[in-house]
Amino acid sequence: MEKVFDSKPLLKKRKGVSKKVMPWLLLAPSIVFYLLFWLFPVIAGTYESFTDAEGHFTFMNYVYIFRDAEFGTAILNTALFVVISVLVQYVLAMILALILNMKFKFNKLLLFIVMIPMAITPTAVAIIWKTGLRETGWINSILTAMSISQDTIAWLEADGLSAILMLVSIDTWTVLPSTVIIILAGLQNLNNEFKEAGAIFGASKWQITKDIVIPILKPSIITSLLLRMIAAAQMWVLVVMVLGYNALPFMVERIAYYVEFVPNAPNAEKMAYAMSIIVAIIVFITSVIYYKVAKRNSVMEANDAE
Amino acid sequence: MQNKKKYAFLKKLTPLNVLIVLFMAMVVLSIIVPLLYFVTVAFSSVNEISQFPMKMFPSFNVEVQVTYISDPEDPNFTKYRVQVKEGDSFEPAFTSRNSLEIEEYFERYLSVRKSGDEFLEDFEVTKTQGTTVFKYAKDPWYNFKAFFNLTVNGVQSLVNSILVSLMTILISVSLGSCAGYAIARYKFKGREKVNMMLLIVRMFPIVAISLPMAILLIRFNLFDSLIGLAIIYSIPNIALTSWITSGIFSGINPELEEASCVFGASKVQTFFKITLPMTFPAIAASSMYAFSTAWNDTITALILTNRNSTLALAVYKAIGSGTSDIQFAAAGSIILILPALVFTFIMRKYINQMWGASAIK
Repeated sequence: MEKVFDSKPLLKKRKGVSKKVMPWLLLAPSIVFYLLFWLFPVIAGTYESFTDAEGHFTFMNYVYIFRDAEFGTAILNTALFVVISVLVQYVLAMILALILNMKFKFNKLLLFIVMIPMAITPTAVAIIWKTGLRETGWINSILTAMSISQDTIAWLEADGLSAILMLVSIDTWTVLPSTVIIILAGLQNLNNEFKEAGAIFGASKWQITKDIVIPILKPSIITSLLLRMIAAAQMWVLVVMVLGYNALPFMVERIAYYVEFVPNAPNAEKMAYAMSIIVAIIVFITSVIYYKVAKRNSVMEANDAE
Repeated sequence: MQNKKKYAFLKKLTPLNVLIVLFMAMVVLSIIVPLLYFVTVAFSSVNEISQFPMKMFPSFNVEVQVTYISDPEDPNFTKYRVQVKEGDSFEPAFTSRNSLEIEEYFERYLSVRKSGDEFLEDFEVTKTQGTTVFKYAKDPWYNFKAFFNLTVNGVQSLVNSILVSLMTILISVSLGSCAGYAIARYKFKGREKVNMMLLIVRMFPIVAISLPMAILLIRFNLFDSLIGLAIIYSIPNIALTSWITSGIFSGINPELEEASCVFGASKVQTFFKITLPMTFPAIAASSMYAFSTAWNDTITALILTNRNSTLALAVYKAIGSGTSDIQFAAAGSIILILPALVFTFIMRKYINQMWGASAIK
């Protein structure tokens, strides 16, 4: 007990576990879990994707998918959806967060209202908008009541880009709150001294936002953006429940389609496996590229600042 | 001084302020209006749901206009013509003398539960009084009851959803926070690799895991079981929890823990008395994400269950990709939303703290 003040070895020695082993002991449950319930299914799935209905080795599952005319459309639609939705959501969220960060009377109430869609389950969101987008739905009801349009609009028959934009709007409706919260939390924790310093040096409000607030928020935005992109790339419930299967192909919608819609063809399940692998690879490559670019930009900006 | 400053922003009528107020009004409307209509749909009868334009607010009464039709040639002939109020006018609905027929129409299309004989008794007055308007109270829970009657194991699916969510929270928070602690507190070989792996795990679509997982679960006799579902839902959430908690753990000064040890607390005591309370926001936020994965999922439940469905799946199945009976599905969704709403608002402030902390870092 002589070395009371050298507390680091004390922490370590208490249980007699060395510093090298301890982290792995703590990680062990997660690692075992992932080996068993993640790696095993992934390997099994990859294996399945290369077999035919009789269990023989084949590339045909992939060939069928690549030949499918819907495949290219699904990739394109997903890419458009991810890019547009993430852009729209982050710009809107940024504006909303900046407004909510100002001190005014109904600030708290507004935040509360903005939060609500966050708690609404995707299936429920799909139902809300499906009741709206039907020809006799509430969107057309409002438009007629406000006499904006005389004829009812067949929203659900939209296709191509307009259908994607429709889904982006619905997705934005649900996702915006969580994005606003992330940015707002960053803003509220932002040290006011930075802003005051900027103001003293004569920076305008816009300059303070652009040159001080946004760069400080950047790390948390980069990470949350990546998680958002991964989630957006896997969107499927909305499109299936609002527009139905096959109306507007998306990557994960294809998997669900193979699983649920054509369940009795033995080939369909194998194709679902193959499609899963393809989706995982695409998402992985995109994430890595995004991460590298985002990191490099941060480094470059840091260098510019110097 | 401070107070004056606080509200100064709204008092000045600059173009920017007007723009901001208009923007916020738009945002609030676009959130509230869909929800209002949604609640209305959940309380609508078949008759109301087919009306256009739709009503924005739910109604709990229905007005019908009944006319007595007699045939002078045949004294035994009596019939009632029933018209239902839609907007400002009464639209023809049906003509009948049969108490069962009347009862069925009122229940099926107007959500009014009453025996047919009572209707006939009410309608007697029209013989002397001529056309009369009656007002009946709708059964407000009609669609909710119908949802649970139509779905197989409706109530059980609600219980299942709650249990699966709790199990998911338990698994992902206990495993994930241990991993998060290891990553934050120890510098060890392969730390970066572990971090990277945790991100990769999230990239694999959960559907893709669910399919081969079925094989594994059948082997372990866990197919169609709640724990099987909870295991899958934990996959992305263990990674997320460890990521969230490691951020918080590295923000806590280790000297605090050391001080506690110096004062004679064991490592376990230190963890529960010092470290855990400080990480509570991170754990609360992680549980919220775990909860929403388990509560919201449909596709995994679709693949991995037969009879043990979850509530979200029940709602999905009630409508699928079709349009019929959307009011029952809407009623089911309301039940699906309520617990999530409560949970989200309890946990909200902790997410706030968490993202704030990671922004500072």
